Amino acid sequence: RRSEKPNWDYHAEIQAFSHRVQENFALDLLKTAFVNPCYIESEEARRRQLGLDKEAVALQLQDNTALSERGLRFARAYLAQSFEGAYPELPAKGIEALVNFLTSQELVSYVAQNLSIQDLALCRDFPAPPDVLQRTFLAVIGALLESSGPERTGIFVRDFFIPQLIGKDLFEIWEVVNPMGLLVEELTKRNISAPEPRITRQLGVSTVLPVYFVGLYCDKKILAEGPGETLLAAEEEAARVALRKLYGYTENRRPWDYSKPKQGLAAEKAISSN
Amino acid sequence: RYVRQLQRLQLLFSPTAADARGARQFVEEAAQDFARQHPDVVLYVSPHSGPGPAPVLRAEYLNGTVREELIASKTSEEIVQLATKLANQSGLDIIRIRKPFHTDNPSVQGQWHPLTNKPSILTIQGPRLQPQ
Repeated sequence: RRSEKPNWDYHAEIQAFSHRVQENFALDLLKTAFVNPCYIESEEARRRQLGLDKEAVALQLQDNTALSERGLRFARAYLAQSFEGAYPELPAKGIEALVNFLTSQELVSYVAQNLSIQDLALCRDFPAPPDVLQRTFLAVIGALLESSGPERTGIFVRDFFIPQLIGKDLFEIWEVVNPMGLLVEELTKRNISAPEPRITRQLGVSTVLPVYFVGLYCDKKILAEGPGETLLAAEEEAARVALRKLYGYTENRRPWDYSKPKQGLAAEKAISSN
Repeated sequence: RYVRQLQRLQLLFSPTAADARGARQFVEEAAQDFARQHPDVVLYVSPHSGPGPAPVLRAEYLNGTVREELIASKTSEEIVQLATKLANQSGLDIIRIRKPFHTDNPSVQGQWHPLTNKPSILTIQGPRLQPQ
């Protein structure tokens, strides 16, 4: 463990962490954010084994469960709100799938590892398991929320979580079982007639690897076109391409807007009331 | 936002050896300024007494790589330059980069595939008009 190797100063490392992330933290809040409940239990067990009195056994540390819950709620609310603003056509299930992906264990623990949180987090096992890293990172977000307010925390969440979506396709993150049914629903909501699939191009029909391009037409106007190995696969792929176009999540959409936010006070109150 | 990839610098030197003179001067004069200019890097200075291994500057990065640079017989300014060079690096391995360009969007209008410009089965080819 890095804290047991020579040259380690916890206070200096925590200060360096807050400078690295370019945020002002209240240092005692940050220190409680790094304390995990498994660490408290292991410390108490160790002290009891060394034979100290009951008063010395009880540590004066608070753990980070409260902070991590606040951080998780804030992160989910902020991400959901920003996705609703950026992709207004995306349905609630899609937004929920995106937010779940961004707050999942692997992603959060990957981000935490590359921010050196695995050295600063106090926990029982080494190397720190991903759920511990996730809890610690969310607790750091909670501590930032308490120290600097919802605006700066929102910028922090945006800067560290949203770049993880670069290069990812919508349907890699959101599992959709029946894209055709979903497409028909979306079109009926917008009062467009049902799509009619037609084969647009086909190559190598009688070989092992045929390629069919199926286009979906509404009122004889093209909606989307998708390739596939069999006719059914091509139709499904065309439905997915059509959904991507409708939700505005294509590959050639405008990249995310990382400029200074000018959000109204109403949005801030909505976030802080969570 | 920019996150500096250098986590900490450990300066291991011996207070008596002759080749660690630059390291000692660096510690006396320039180490505080360096630490003030880079508040997100933790600088540890650890002199080990007596003749020992050569003076070394060890840099640890956020992705775990540890890089050691010898600072024997280097002047204080050279050590400052070395430290800033390490501070501006990332922890990726120093290997040959195969190509100096990389793009996440290799194609703007869609990559070409053998069916791009072929007319589809549905477009009906009308009768050829007589040139007028």
